[in-house]
Amino acid sequence: MTAFMNVLMASIIAIFVQNSIFERALGINVLLYASRKREHLLGFFAAITYTTTISSAIIWIFDGLFAENEYYSVFMPILYVAVVSVLYILTLVLIWRFFPKLFRNIRKYVHLSVFNCSVIGALFLCSVQGSDIFTYIGYGFGTGIGFLLAAYLLYIAADRLNSPLVPAAFRGFPIMLVYVGILSLALYAFTGYTTSAV
Amino acid sequence: MENKKISLKDGFFKQNIVFMSGLLIAPVIACATTLEKSLAVCLVFSLVSFLTILLCRVIPRKIAYTLRVIIYSLVASAIYIPSVLLTTTVMGGDVIASAGVYLPILVTNSLILSKSESRFYVEPFGDMVPDVLCFIAGFDAACIFTGAVREILAKGTIGGAYLDMPFTIPALETTFGGFLFVGIMAGFARGLYNHHKAKLLRAETDEEDELAEYAEDMGEFLTGKKNSEPDKIRIYKPSKKKKDDAPTNILDMDFSDNRSLVEEFAAIVAGGAELSPDESSGDENWSVEEGEEDMSGEDEGSQESAENKEDNEE
Repeated sequence: MTAFMNVLMASIIAIFVQNSIFERALGINVLLYASRKREHLLGFFAAITYTTTISSAIIWIFDGLFAENEYYSVFMPILYVAVVSVLYILTLVLIWRFFPKLFRNIRKYVHLSVFNCSVIGALFLCSVQGSDIFTYIGYGFGTGIGFLLAAYLLYIAADRLNSPLVPAAFRGFPIMLVYVGILSLALYAFTGYTTSAV
Repeated sequence: MENKKISLKDGFFKQNIVFMSGLLIAPVIACATTLEKSLAVCLVFSLVSFLTILLCRVIPRKIAYTLRVIIYSLVASAIYIPSVLLTTTVMGGDVIASAGVYLPILVTNSLILSKSESRFYVEPFGDMVPDVLCFIAGFDAACIFTGAVREILAKGTIGGAYLDMPFTIPALETTFGGFLFVGIMAGFARGLYNHHKAKLLRAETDEEDELAEYAEDMGEFLTGKKNSEPDKIRIYKPSKKKKDDAPTNILDMDFSDNRSLVEEFAAIVAGGAELSPDESSGDENWSVEEGEEDMSGEDEGSQESAENKEDNEE
């Protein structure tokens, strides 16, 4: 029960309080791409959630092993990228073997959804925020759900943000940033006025 | 693509990866809150991106991109190690610590993973290097600008030195402040670019108007009639892909010294025909068309008419 509560609490924090998009701006360029189409949105959500959840459990082992090492923070990126790469290859091979049609569909953007700031950043945040394997997993899972929330909020507003009522110079990417900024301001209330250092 | 001319404005301004295309904005929004932190991000980003793109060019393109992307990320992560150690030596450990996760995430930046495939690796090596440097310079300029302005407005300091500011906006230090600031700056940058583009278009239109006015005057001069119908003389303006000689010759020519052309013009005015460059036989030759045609298909129309004329002569 405690394990489940840890996962749940870490997930809620990752979705609302430490949302990787609204609070950290991690993977904002991927978000702008994913929110264009509904199928992209779901595909990116699935890929990010799967990768961050499983990778976070694996990096917990490495964090435990090398935490005392003075230069661990410098070697973290290569280690995390290696973990994500192995998971990515194994998953692709499995999908290619058992779901060839799905493989053909996701092949175009699967690399974008796995190798981006959102996934790698979420793993770094796991190692900063997490304490045990359950909080690591919860945080990884919550990051994926948080991404879906942000992408959906952007998806439903996309038509209005691209309407002719918006000045031409601001149409598209600039107004989306302003919109995400306002949403971020709203979610900022969850953290209160004492934001911890990144 | 082989002979593509590299424009510095492309990476630096027109396709700036922060303000124009938004390919890499997370470190600028969340981390570029002071000049010092911005410089640290720029240094790591420049070293990691430039060296990775340079090294990964040798990776055979036979390997599927789905797998190549792993090699790019691993190479970038390996280059990150000396880059961050160098930055720590230059700027101090505190700055690196305050930058937090925003330095390591640079190993999966879109310049390395996306732009290299779509742009850099399809260019010849000699063109690629300055192009990559322009993109990196564009990011650095945007990041440093954002960091400096946010530090001034949020803290009233620049590089740690106190400025006597009448007011400060502390919210600019936060992530939502970063989103709003970068969004507004992106809007201004795009507005500036649109304004510049419109200005160029206007200049082109003015040139066309000048040409039309000239043709009208010429009609009046040749026919001796005022208010002669301007559409009786049409001077084609070949597209910019053609040699520049043909269109400019018309404007620069002294009519009184070129009797043959004046005669041709007179024939055109009399017959209501059109004058167009005879592209099939060279730049200097001009053919007279019988009847009027729509101006929209300028070059093709003129070429076809020249061919028709030749057929008729045969």
